[in-house]
Amino acid sequence: MKLKFNKRLLIVWVILASFTLGYLVIDHSAEGQAGSLRSSAVITSSVIVIALIKVRIIFREFMEVRQAPVLLCRLTDAWIVLIAAALLGSYFIGTAIR
Amino acid sequence: MTTVTEDTNKPAKFVPGQPDMWAFVLFETLVFTAYFGFYLFYRSQNPELFLHSQAQLDLRIGVFNALILLLSSWSVARCVQSARAAAYGPALKDAFLTAFFGLVFLCSKVFEWARQIQMGNGFGSSDFFTYYFFLTGIHFVHLLIGFVVLGVVIYQLRSPARRNQELVETCATYWHTVDFLWVLIFALLYVVR
Amino acid sequence: MSTVATQTASPLTRRHNPKRELWLAWWTLVVFYNFFFLVFFVITRVQPPPNPAWDTPRVVQWFHDNHFGLLAGFAIMFVITGMTTMSNALIAYSMRRMSVSRAFAYSYLILYSLSAIPGMLLMCIALTVGALRPDRDPELIHWIYDFAFLSFVGTMGVFLIGSLVWMLAILIDKNRVFPKWFGYLNLCNGLTEIVVSPAWIFRGGVLAWNGQIAWWLDMVVFGIYTGVFIFLLRQMIQREDFGTGPLPELLNAAR
Repeated sequence: MKLKFNKRLLIVWVILASFTLGYLVIDHSAEGQAGSLRSSAVITSSVIVIALIKVRIIFREFMEVRQAPVLLCRLTDAWIVLIAAALLGSYFIGTAIR
Repeated sequence: MTTVTEDTNKPAKFVPGQPDMWAFVLFETLVFTAYFGFYLFYRSQNPELFLHSQAQLDLRIGVFNALILLLSSWSVARCVQSARAAAYGPALKDAFLTAFFGLVFLCSKVFEWARQIQMGNGFGSSDFFTYYFFLTGIHFVHLLIGFVVLGVVIYQLRSPARRNQELVETCATYWHTVDFLWVLIFALLYVVR
Repeated sequence: MSTVATQTASPLTRRHNPKRELWLAWWTLVVFYNFFFLVFFVITRVQPPPNPAWDTPRVVQWFHDNHFGLLAGFAIMFVITGMTTMSNALIAYSMRRMSVSRAFAYSYLILYSLSAIPGMLLMCIALTVGALRPDRDPELIHWIYDFAFLSFVGTMGVFLIGSLVWMLAILIDKNRVFPKWFGYLNLCNGLTEIVVSPAWIFRGGVLAWNGQIAWWLDMVVFGIYTGVFIFLLRQMIQREDFGTGPLPELLNAAR
């Protein structure tokens, strides 16, 4: 029993680690394209979205929300949406005001 | 292996740890989201400055830190499951492993800060570095509290008289928060353009 | 009530209205915070704090604009400061009702008694001194201004330890005087107080003494925290049975 659960946890970690390493790829391609430093709304948005996907995986798998009452599932999902709105909102409103 | 499917088909849903800790986690996440919001807003007001300062950070250290904390989340999750299955020996080992990963993160952070300060980037050097030291600093405080929390876990697991599964799960929930906060901080400070 | 409660119950339970003093303390607490809000936010207008980046003539201007407000408001403050002792006593009382060592209650009392000086009174005194003689050397006035606001905002740390003491007591307590989530809220409050300490370094931006993070966000958390603990203290008094065991849950009839 422990073995099966352990494998699942390990797979989850591998997925999370892959996303993390994926950032290196994004960073590399960003520099490659621009040559110099440049801000990019596309990169910023996708980075934030990927981070939130990781957070949701942590919620559901590591923090065992998957096996929790529906209220907690809904609450954590709502939080993810809230954070996304706040972060993307701050960024885009800031860019618009400039 | 049949016991596996029985367990995974368990209809009983449970809240991992005290619901109170979940309330704390959600509240603290909101506070951090506010910090992040300010950061992103002011970043968008001054992208060149932020980009320039950000280039001084080493992305590899950030990635390393993220992987280490994710590993620590993995080990504490494993610890919770072992404890639930009454395998307290392996659970204790995993708790110590989590503390070890936390320690690696701690040393790595201190090393990174020292390097940045040596390079001339301090708390007040530029707006970016203010946020950098502020966010990593307040996260660091949460990490230190995490060690206390892990201490509680180890204390609980050690003695048969004290073992309290709910408390172990509560502490694990806290530790995962330290992890996912870093996931966000890492993305916002190191990778966002 | 259980026999345990009557055995260890204090003489108070035989008296008419045993909770009289507790309610007096609670109402004093509520009245104090209302006055506090009125004095600091409306009369003296020191909250939200003015800008640390102002130059000397602007600071002198601020003193001039708020001259009577400062003198009147803080005069009120000096008279009512003693009310905080009731507030601290009630919180210490809540810790005495818990199953934890009395040391928690005593250390909280000592801490908060002392912390009122740097945490609030210093600013009141300094700004009153500054407002007393408007024709004082402008550089001195500017100094008083910095001293006042730094001492108020920058010394949040004295309250941090108090929050931690209360938090620890709540988490260890077996008498269920407060819900555990309130213990954790103490931690949140304490952490936002740490966040205020950069105000000593920055004269502008989000971490200055009037900054969005150091002041505004901190105030939101503090406001929530204060509202919550006033409410929970009220519940505690309603539930109080003057025993030493777990505090009974709130029933409709409990008063």
